[in-house]
Amino acid sequence: MLQHDVLIVGSGLAGMRAALEVSNDPTLDVAILSKVHPLRSHSGAAQGGIAASLGNSAEDSWDLHMFDTVKGGDYLVDQDAAEVLTREGPENIFELEHMGCAFSRDDEGRVAQRRFGGHTAPRACYAADRTGHAVLTVLFEQLLRRGVKVYSEWYALDLVVKDNVCQGLVAYDILSGQIEAISAKAVMFGTGGYGRAFRVTTNAFASTGDGVVMAYRAGIPLEDMEFVQFHPTGLQGSGILLSEAARGEGAHIVNSDGFRFMENYAPGRMELAPRDIVARAEQSEIEAGRGVTTLRDSVFMDLRPIGEERIRYALPSVLHLARDFAGIDPLEAPVPIQPTAHYSMGGIPCDINGQVRIKDLEGAPEITGFFAAGEASCVSVHGANRLGTNSLLEAVVMGRRAGRGILDVVHDLEPTSIDEGDMANAIGEVDHFLTATGDQKVGEIRAELRDTMMDKCGVFRDDAELRDCLSEVKDYQERFKNISIDDHGSTFNTDLLDAIELGHMLEYSEVITVGAIARQESRGGHARRDFPDRDDENWHRHTLAYRPQDGEDAPRLEYCAVNMEPKFREPFPLQERTY
Amino acid sequence: MAQQEFIIQRYNPDTDESYEESFNVDVQPGQTVLDCLNAIKWEQDGTLSFRMSCRHAICGSCAMKVNGQSMLSCQTQVDAAAERGDPIHVGPQGNQNVVKDLVVDVTKFLNQFERAETWLEPYEDQDPPEREYRQKVEEFDHWSHASTCIHCGACYSDCTVAAVDENFLGPAALAKAYRFVMDSRDAKREERLKFLSEEQGGIWDCTRCYMCVQACPKDVLPMDAIMELRTLAIEAGHTNNHGVRHHKGFTGGVRKRGRLDEMMLPVQSVGLGRLLTGNLSAHKEMMDYTPGAIRLLKSRKLLTIAQRHGANAEGREQIERIFEEVEAEKHHHDVDAEAFGAEFETAIGGH
Repeated sequence: MLQHDVLIVGSGLAGMRAALEVSNDPTLDVAILSKVHPLRSHSGAAQGGIAASLGNSAEDSWDLHMFDTVKGGDYLVDQDAAEVLTREGPENIFELEHMGCAFSRDDEGRVAQRRFGGHTAPRACYAADRTGHAVLTVLFEQLLRRGVKVYSEWYALDLVVKDNVCQGLVAYDILSGQIEAISAKAVMFGTGGYGRAFRVTTNAFASTGDGVVMAYRAGIPLEDMEFVQFHPTGLQGSGILLSEAARGEGAHIVNSDGFRFMENYAPGRMELAPRDIVARAEQSEIEAGRGVTTLRDSVFMDLRPIGEERIRYALPSVLHLARDFAGIDPLEAPVPIQPTAHYSMGGIPCDINGQVRIKDLEGAPEITGFFAAGEASCVSVHGANRLGTNSLLEAVVMGRRAGRGILDVVHDLEPTSIDEGDMANAIGEVDHFLTATGDQKVGEIRAELRDTMMDKCGVFRDDAELRDCLSEVKDYQERFKNISIDDHGSTFNTDLLDAIELGHMLEYSEVITVGAIARQESRGGHARRDFPDRDDENWHRHTLAYRPQDGEDAPRLEYCAVNMEPKFREPFPLQERTY
Repeated sequence: MAQQEFIIQRYNPDTDESYEESFNVDVQPGQTVLDCLNAIKWEQDGTLSFRMSCRHAICGSCAMKVNGQSMLSCQTQVDAAAERGDPIHVGPQGNQNVVKDLVVDVTKFLNQFERAETWLEPYEDQDPPEREYRQKVEEFDHWSHASTCIHCGACYSDCTVAAVDENFLGPAALAKAYRFVMDSRDAKREERLKFLSEEQGGIWDCTRCYMCVQACPKDVLPMDAIMELRTLAIEAGHTNNHGVRHHKGFTGGVRKRGRLDEMMLPVQSVGLGRLLTGNLSAHKEMMDYTPGAIRLLKSRKLLTIAQRHGANAEGREQIERIFEEVEAEKHHHDVDAEAFGAEFETAIGGH
């Protein structure tokens, strides 16, 4: 059995920032474990910026940032968390800057800031349009400097929790095929989102909700899983992200008539309305027959109003992505775009110190020694819809806070252990896939699942489609029991990992769908045609979905209150959300 | 839809077998090489192994050789990789050991960043400012291209020096070192330049073949960064090393005789002074040249004493003019850089 004081799973911004914080205590042995090398983590794909009210470009304040965040999240945001996020934003940015982050600069040599959807001030700090990459790189550099141990290309299989106390992890070394137990007094999950269950997505192949499902299987409920953000500017077909920074810099979105249709949906903010609103507007235009290209399944984003020089300087990645992946030069022609599954608002419930906690239920039991941060978690700073540039900020601020949360308690935690019995689930899962002889194929089931989720649990939802969706997901789960894989080797067996990941996708897709069926209202990223209005009386609350126990055939849903108790100001009262 | 043949270099670690295998894929317009590898893996042969994640050229996982050149498979359109009808050859990255199929052991490549300590070292004698360090747009623009590295290894894979020298830091780590040398927030500029000049496998071992710039899927321009590091190192006074002596011997010889003087170059590189004072390691370095010199002599590539007079008078005049022009341009550039530096110092009131 391997052993560390602290084990961080996932090496994106949240995980690395937490590890860096824990490494401030030289008496602690901290390690990071990730299924990809840290520099490959999907945080690196974030493009447009990281929000903080530095006020470099125009007057700004954390209150205003907090209000934008709460309103952007359609008031499902926990206000204690949004307060922490926005108050601590600026110091976190300066810290990254002092670590050497390659932020773009304004004329005064300060960190440059630009506009972003749903933010009333220009507060997106950016590194051209590769901000995630710049922050990811600098955090990894500082981890190297500290000599933090990294289990690179190790796949976490199972979280071991006994009597609400986390014991550690069972993990699979992808290079050797060995299964190892790793005990730790504190485990943190920064394992990312779950957008891979949708056909059109910006997410990396790696974003398969592994951590979320491991927590769920360990008996921890998942919070607000039905809230999935569709980003309005994915490249047609592949769904590859074109940064919202394009709109921040002045790009237009038009329909087949060449009309800037946001005029009809959010006249006050136009293209810079929050993502859920722009995505719905696009989907409505497409469904009304005003889509573009021969498929009529997309609308146009026109970057030319920005001007060639500024596009080249501020949006080089957007320029390259459109050229390399759509064969279109944005300097010459508009780019066809469509809504694309982008961000997972739901996840593992935790408090503002990263402590995993089953919120607001009697006694609010915590899972001792288990922490979460970033997209895998649901703290919840984004509520029903995340504002652009708030995700990188959340990963950094909450990663640091989780690190500090761990430092606060870890010295008082008892040593933990994992015995052979605790490893049985993980060993059994791997054995099953390596020896299975069924006639079903991972690739086929996965493709069908992604179609189902996109078409029946997408930008717009209704009861009948969601019920169809659920029965199809159940059908895939049955077929999945009867799969076989081709690769039975022990070295770099990605065929095996594909199967394990599909198991995760099937499990959380059910949770998304069940939560979506139950929530009979429209709020943020969850838009029901049959319940088009927000219903605060019945639904101003978080969903908690528990894994079915023996005898249950569906996740059990409970609900808990939204936090309305910020520490340093009055809460923002619920209001109608218009832009 | 068209059929495209892929010939994939495979390696099975369990049987230690290497072989080529051919697959046919139905290709839609706009599909990438990675799309096709996935189609093969998911529909034909699940044992095929390769790394991939973001599929839009930012995570750096899927660099491999396509028709012999290193590139990101996700960024490479099938149409661009093959003339209609020709098979596309796909193989693992070069200069690293193969683990399985297209997966290589990246440890050696990534270790170079640790060796070069490519992370920001803060000033120890002063606290950072309360807010951000000020950095002029011009300063940022000067090095920011080198910060766009996605550590995919394509440059290292195609590097002609890494192919023969395990010790070479490689284009990516050197470009990243340049990025910190140029960043005013870093406290170790001088130490870095000294290390990069004197370390075995440092800036002077690049042969300027330009393969790294060609392979890089981003805008890093590693070789340009290495060349700029050489200039910076010389300006900082790190001239008493093999690389600079070689450089001086090379250009000095050309200026004087109008052509390269291979006979004298080893003596100049190792340092005549060191040899005359009986420096043992200098003599060992001379001995290291012997096998190469013998090969050159045998193939008549080494000038004989009689041939050493070089170019004629007119040729030498022309060469001298080239040197003078380059020097004048460099002086011009230095004056500009100094003016910029002074203005910047005033603007930020510190480093």
